[in-house]
Amino acid sequence: MTAPGRILVVEDDESLREALLEVLGDEGHEVRVAEHGADALETLDGWEPEVLVLDLMMPVMDAFEFREHQRRRAAALGARVLVLSAARDLGGAAERLDADAYLAKPFRLDEMLTTVERLLDDHRAEGAAGR
Amino acid sequence: MTEAPESPGEFVDVPGVRGEVAFRLLVEAVEDYAIFLLAPDGRILTWNLGAQRIKGYTADEIIGQHFSRFYTPEEQEAGRPATLLGWAAEYGRYEDEGWRVRKDGTRFWADVILTALRDESGEPYAFAKITRDLTERRAAEERERALLVEREARSAAEEALRTRDRFLSIASHELKTPAASLSLTVASLQRASTSGRLDADRLSSSLARLATATDRLGILVDELLDVSRLTAGRMEFRSEPIDLATLARDVIDRFAAADDADRIRLVGTEPAWVEGDASRLDQVVTNLLDNAVKYSDHDAPVELELGDADGGVTLVVRDRGFGLDEEASARLFDAFGRGLNAEHIPGLGLGLFISHQIVERHGGRIAARARPDGRGSEFTLWLPAARPA
Repeated sequence: MTAPGRILVVEDDESLREALLEVLGDEGHEVRVAEHGADALETLDGWEPEVLVLDLMMPVMDAFEFREHQRRRAAALGARVLVLSAARDLGGAAERLDADAYLAKPFRLDEMLTTVERLLDDHRAEGAAGR
Repeated sequence: MTEAPESPGEFVDVPGVRGEVAFRLLVEAVEDYAIFLLAPDGRILTWNLGAQRIKGYTADEIIGQHFSRFYTPEEQEAGRPATLLGWAAEYGRYEDEGWRVRKDGTRFWADVILTALRDESGEPYAFAKITRDLTERRAAEERERALLVEREARSAAEEALRTRDRFLSIASHELKTPAASLSLTVASLQRASTSGRLDADRLSSSLARLATATDRLGILVDELLDVSRLTAGRMEFRSEPIDLATLARDVIDRFAAADDADRIRLVGTEPAWVEGDASRLDQVVTNLLDNAVKYSDHDAPVELELGDADGGVTLVVRDRGFGLDEEASARLFDAFGRGLNAEHIPGLGLGLFISHQIVERHGGRIAARARPDGRGSEFTLWLPAARPA
């Protein structure tokens, strides 16, 4: 069992965002949510998540723009990235985002939780090895 | 070879007979143009290589014959050769394009210039006829035209395919998000229930989420069905007298229930009787109001104004929202024609397309423009007036 981690969920659809908050919270993770990229950047101010769960298309600031700003600000650079989207070329988009994993919507709950745990493990293993 | 008749003037600058001979030799040698002289009555007086090449007759065969044999039987019957000579005599020069007949009976597309050569009294003593064979060029032009038509057809088909692909991609994206929310919430409820964590709070928040996602899916499916019915011409419309003012007020009341009460107001002349399908027109007004609310800030005012024009009833919906550019206004009523500034607004972008179709089936019109002061947009619905119920 992976120890609970810090997770930031960035998703514009309110009901999906709340569902993610609930199910990840049930696993004991510390979860914060953001409606879009700009909102997420604010959340990163003073808080460093280990995993980012990102929707692709969002109002105000989409995932691509968010990643650019995030890198420029050097915020949560070590965080692993999971992309959740219904977009068609999801693999290509995930690659452009330099994401570590992606799942097409709708996804299975257990699959999503396992992926998040794997990313947390990876993040910690690399952190221990000195990134 | 028969000599051309003595001419009253000089053909070329070189003085004397040698110049005329040189010029005649030049003309005889030209291969790309048929250049020859006709007597005033239309008999052929001279012939050159170009004429032989284009029309197929040798000089011996054709000199002394009437030039009408170069014309199609239909044109001969219509007296076209004589008419052309008459025009050339009258105007001095006449140019014509049309089908001509070769010795072997085949046809070619010719450009013909007939010039009257006049004596001192002004009477034509001969006609100079210059003919070019444009068959190749005409065929090339036709090939080009056919190619252009084909290319246009292909790009229209490709555009239709792209529209369909965009439709499928947007529709599937829009359907999958609430589907993800549904499946995640159901799975989470199941987990909570088996682990004994399912309390009343959790149950009610989960149910609310399920209701939201289900509504969203229902709306999307309705939109898709409307579009499919409308494009297949299978949507049925009732016909009954409707007061558009009452209908608009009902729609506003629904928005008022959703906290948009203070910003929306209705002005203008009442009642406003039209005829049609109340639920479909309700859908149109709801769509216009929904857009006005959706595409502007939370507290920006929205105004509905009833009026009359051109024997009909108008309903103008004005907002102070993001506005429209000219290009967007033109495409707004197409399927997926929403403006670029609306890319991140959820929904299929089919609302105005559906509204436009419904209004047209009512014999009405719908138009959009940016407000004259540049702030916000203005949608005008016009429907034929009807007698009160």
